[in-house]
Amino acid sequence: MVTGMQTPVFIDDLPDSSAVGSRKSERYRQVRNRALAEMLLDEAVTWHERPCPACGQDRASSRNFSQALMPFQRCSACNTIYAARVPDQRHLDQERLQMLSDLPPEPADSAKSTREFEFVSILNWLRLTEARHGKPLNTVAEYRFSSQAPSLPQTVERIGSTRDWTFLPLSDSGSANFGDLRDHLQASSPDAVLLYGEMDRIAEPAQLLRVVRANLPRGSLVFIATSCADGLEYEILGADSPSFVPLDRLNIFSVGGFSALVEELGYKAIEISTPGRLDAVILQKYFTEIEGSDVPFWSGFFRSANKDRLHDLQILLQRSLRSGVMRFVLET
Amino acid sequence: MGQIRHQAMIKHGGFEVVAACDTHTDPNAEIPVVTDPMRVYDYDPDVIFCCVPNNMIPDVVCEALDRGKHVFSEKPPGRNSDDVRKMQAAEARNPALVLKFGFNHRFHDAIEDAKRLIDAGTMGDLYFMRGVYGKAGGANYAQNWRNDPAKSGGGILIDQGIHMLDLFLMFASDFPNVQSVVQRKFWTDVPVEDNAFALMRNDNGVVASLHSSATQWQHKFTLELYARGGFISVNGILSASGTYGTEVLNVALNRLDKDGNPIPNPESQEIRYTVDRSWDKEITEFYEAVVNGAPVKCGTSQQALDVMLLVERIYAADPAWSEQRTAAIAGRW
Repeated sequence: MVTGMQTPVFIDDLPDSSAVGSRKSERYRQVRNRALAEMLLDEAVTWHERPCPACGQDRASSRNFSQALMPFQRCSACNTIYAARVPDQRHLDQERLQMLSDLPPEPADSAKSTREFEFVSILNWLRLTEARHGKPLNTVAEYRFSSQAPSLPQTVERIGSTRDWTFLPLSDSGSANFGDLRDHLQASSPDAVLLYGEMDRIAEPAQLLRVVRANLPRGSLVFIATSCADGLEYEILGADSPSFVPLDRLNIFSVGGFSALVEELGYKAIEISTPGRLDAVILQKYFTEIEGSDVPFWSGFFRSANKDRLHDLQILLQRSLRSGVMRFVLET
Repeated sequence: MGQIRHQAMIKHGGFEVVAACDTHTDPNAEIPVVTDPMRVYDYDPDVIFCCVPNNMIPDVVCEALDRGKHVFSEKPPGRNSDDVRKMQAAEARNPALVLKFGFNHRFHDAIEDAKRLIDAGTMGDLYFMRGVYGKAGGANYAQNWRNDPAKSGGGILIDQGIHMLDLFLMFASDFPNVQSVVQRKFWTDVPVEDNAFALMRNDNGVVASLHSSATQWQHKFTLELYARGGFISVNGILSASGTYGTEVLNVALNRLDKDGNPIPNPESQEIRYTVDRSWDKEITEFYEAVVNGAPVKCGTSQQALDVMLLVERIYAADPAWSEQRTAAIAGRW
């Protein structure tokens, strides 16, 4: 039984600004931008222009968001931020696999426990949604997040989930047009699919959502976590936002834009949230560390804000669906 | 309450209200209004909505059932368990009819979600519940029939606290073990309690604590359920007065350390409910029972009896108060 749409707020201890520095290091941004530059110079890569990937609004009707390296637009109809030209998915996947192979091993101790808390949050998200909506999720297929988070399967196993998980990491074969996912869904018909952080990175997000819906029984659930263009960070800092790494953020959907997209594709949204924990501390770090970064009201606010005020703001952003990441639960 | 029910029936669309009974007539009313309760039967209704003082409820309910009418009655179900048994007897004499009591808190969205979470087993075994339900007396507190024990059967506990007890009973089975403190602190010239504290345990070891208050100057509804695997709290309850705040459910599942011990302050999900749909859902359940024969799940006479017995147990568990109450009901206060 699925009731009306809900908008949960995720309340947890919030980190201070020291936690932000290591999240998207400057070096990481440079590496990703170099990879993008190499793709732009690679004549084997096919690029195609596209309208807003959420609502289909023509690029000409949208506003410029960034012209660095490649053009990004902010849709004037739905507020989604998107790359106006995207490379073909095959090259995107190849580049990503290369990037993942170059990454250092996952850190130990405190950073690892932070990551594990993130995984536990995902698992609890599924458990509570399952219970509230009375839909047992005995089998779950996770698509590609385990490539970014290789310790996820071990955490799932260690925590002792009673459900059967299948992890489908990014691979160099079989993923054309998301065929690997299609084949698994057709063979296994899982009760739920988890797409965590994937919608940001792909050239044709609607195509992925079509594959999922076409190959799942009606009434299945799809859990999606992605960046959110309505977040205060993007609203204030625009393309200067520390979270904006072009190659990792080909699509930064707005809540309204993504809602329109999934409805168009035949899904029913049963939960929408923006559970970000870092918007406030990212902005505080930005305004305290970047000289001359004055924005009326906000720069003074963040420079003088103490931890309590940042916490209150972060919760307000969540309650207002204005944090920089969002989660959707969709019913097929 | 009659007007709230009337609005819910209009909204539902499956009811035609043919007459109302009140203490005074209203020349501007859109339906016939009578002052003699027996006159409503002149309009040959199929169902009776009973929204009268507690002492009148048993007679109105029994009369209606014996006349072949389905009955929806407000809570509390009379003044005591004997009143409920009297109505159960009438119900038994008329097994084809529906009798439902208006314990509408079970239909609040946050409460329904909490129930789903517990029933799904996600939270694990229930350990304990804490409930606080209180308000700041009310207008004409001393003169209100609700505070005349001969008419009401008691004070804030039977009037408002009974909702929390009903929820306790929904989440756990009966509570045979009860300790209590019942007192009158502010309205000392009124012969009913303005505060009741109860600590209860059921046979499965689930503990429940209740504070029902008429001196809760800032209106409050809080229900917490702590289980092996996490907790649920419901703060605020959407009401006709709007004074108990937005209805907010918080739910958290424990995070465990490497030894399997819960780490304090787990991530919680907060869900806010801003529309009170309880009246509509309650009316719908009654309609479905009358028209389509669906079972009544919330507000059965057995649930009414169970909660009234628990009220009586709480009154009786404070010997000093029990003595005062007996005298007050007998008019010797």
